[in-house]
Amino acid sequence: MNGWTGNILRVNLSAKTHKKEAFSEDFAQKWVGGRGFAVKTLYDELKPGIDPLGPENKFIVALGPISGIPAPNTGKAVVAAKSPLTGFYGDGNLGTRAAEHLRKAGYDMLIVEGKADRPTMLYIEDDKVEFIPADEVWGQGTYVCNEWIYSKYGKGVGVLNIGQGGENLNRHAVVRSMEGRAGGRPGIGAVMGSKLLKAVVVKGTKSIPQADAAGMKAAGSGDLKRVGQIDKETGWSIQSTTGVLPFCNEVAGLPVHNFRKTHHPLAWQVDGERCNNARVATYGCPTCTMRCGVTVRDAEGHESELDYENVALLGPNLDIFDIPQMASLNYLCDEYGLDTMSTGCTLSFYADAIEHGHVDGDFKFGDAERAKELLRLAAHREGKVGNFLAEGSRRMARMIGHNSEAYAMQVKGLEVAAYNCKFIPGQALSYGVAPIGAHHREAWIITFEIRHTTRESYGPEKAAKVIELQRIRGGLFEFIVSCRFPWIENGWPLDNYPKYFNLATGLNWNLDDMWRVGDRIYSMIKLHFLREYPQASREDDYPPRVWFDPANADTEGPIAGKHLELDKYDGLLQHYYDQRGYDRRGIPTKTTLHALGLDAEAAAVQAHAKLTD
Amino acid sequence: MKVQVKVIGPLIYKTGFSEKDFDLPPATKVADLIARLGIPPERPRIVTRNGKAVLPEDTLEDGDKLAVSPIYSGG
Repeated sequence: MNGWTGNILRVNLSAKTHKKEAFSEDFAQKWVGGRGFAVKTLYDELKPGIDPLGPENKFIVALGPISGIPAPNTGKAVVAAKSPLTGFYGDGNLGTRAAEHLRKAGYDMLIVEGKADRPTMLYIEDDKVEFIPADEVWGQGTYVCNEWIYSKYGKGVGVLNIGQGGENLNRHAVVRSMEGRAGGRPGIGAVMGSKLLKAVVVKGTKSIPQADAAGMKAAGSGDLKRVGQIDKETGWSIQSTTGVLPFCNEVAGLPVHNFRKTHHPLAWQVDGERCNNARVATYGCPTCTMRCGVTVRDAEGHESELDYENVALLGPNLDIFDIPQMASLNYLCDEYGLDTMSTGCTLSFYADAIEHGHVDGDFKFGDAERAKELLRLAAHREGKVGNFLAEGSRRMARMIGHNSEAYAMQVKGLEVAAYNCKFIPGQALSYGVAPIGAHHREAWIITFEIRHTTRESYGPEKAAKVIELQRIRGGLFEFIVSCRFPWIENGWPLDNYPKYFNLATGLNWNLDDMWRVGDRIYSMIKLHFLREYPQASREDDYPPRVWFDPANADTEGPIAGKHLELDKYDGLLQHYYDQRGYDRRGIPTKTTLHALGLDAEAAAVQAHAKLTD
Repeated sequence: MKVQVKVIGPLIYKTGFSEKDFDLPPATKVADLIARLGIPPERPRIVTRNGKAVLPEDTLEDGDKLAVSPIYSGG
């Protein structure tokens, strides 16, 4: 089998055992890799209702057929598990040298089961697997842990690790790699922590099987230069994603004051130009020639790697318009191994709830010093406040009551990304139907909405655009496992991806074949959701209710007096369901599942919930 | 007529400024302004006026506040 190593490494931390398992060509072609491998494996191997933080959960690292090959932006891995934040399938991707190393060690997927009896680092070197005590770095942040690992194995190894957030089961804990990289927003780092798994270190020395290795080498070396050249021409990476901030501010789409406001006169103080002016270094992922990590000094002097999401959600969303202070919060999230986005939304929810008198507390918007202390408490689950914040905004709202869930900025438990959809219906839909919760990775259509249609429209063209982008962003890039930025930000043609897939596998797939795999994966995630939540309804696909509230409408600016309208949003949602072949609950019908080759999976879910014909 | 132009992201390194007021002849069109900024017409971009997109053939009006941005994709 070319393109895939054909092997899974299964490790059991309780028994300290490991085995290499071969997978079939049918499995490879049906699920391809990354998100596909993870969602199918977790569906088959996890019983519904298990505790995501118990030993029954499984931590997965999954690669795709172009992961780790010397081509543009292939240094990515998918991490996945049942999410402690959302209660069903959760995943994320991150740039890491572990992608290439795991493939060169001979594996396309790592499955970690059970729970260690002490803090443990898993060391994988080709066929060798070692369980190494990690007590020395348990309780330490990700940067300290990295240095400890590098001192043992050198800087070239692949590392995935967690900080105090993961150790203490903060539901926003992420998996970290290479200092500035993070993935697994739905608390996948907490799953590692629940297993006392501090780190996974990988060193691989074999070659990755490829159908046309010479063709791959020739294409890869040319394209690496080409992608870098395109980026020089566009200038995109000068500000990278931080350049989005002034655009969002201009079109009233910036989260300010827990998304209560959509723009702010001081937003320029943390915009892409200022972030770039403050830059002291630039970091990136393996095989990247358009590195996006704008790195600045925080208020305490640490290097802090910024992108738009963390700038907006830890900055303006908390009424903080100061780069070093905002960068401090970002650094602390990275050190503790917390998701910057969910953490920003959770802190802003807390400040908002205090402001509304719905909960007692001493945190106010704009108070960066108190925010730093709250981050420490949340990462360590210290005291009542630390434990409260570690639960995430949806659980916090349910504890508080007072209908505060209306302004907890989340969908299905996962906090929204940094796009304020108070009057951006299509992007609100994108959050609503993002299969793992409100992730911007799946689809982002704001420019399309503003440029090619009208902001007021709730028409089928917006549902179609969301599906088109889901197939590319949440499908293709997540199962082939590669960074979407060369295409998405610099227009490198999508046709390159089937080209690399075919060079690797010897198959002859086109983009339509890719869309079909993506649709299959999305349906599987929906079945995961249904299995865990048999009472699933279309309301699970509604965005935060505050966006529908006329009292929350802007009083000035480009969208003064405007807000989302519930009946119209519901109509837009129905367009999406109709185009996807989903029923009125947003669950794929039996017909849709059959067409995607998922009859067995459909039969399995019917022990727990009904499907529609 | 006077219009205020804000340039966003890497386009500021093409135009040489991020915010500037322009005194333009009446009936100037968006495409004329883009040409004056030195942004190649084939370069993908979005121009907004008060948060709403305008087209190259749209006519500018006195007091307009415009933003010229590359086509971002949300990271």
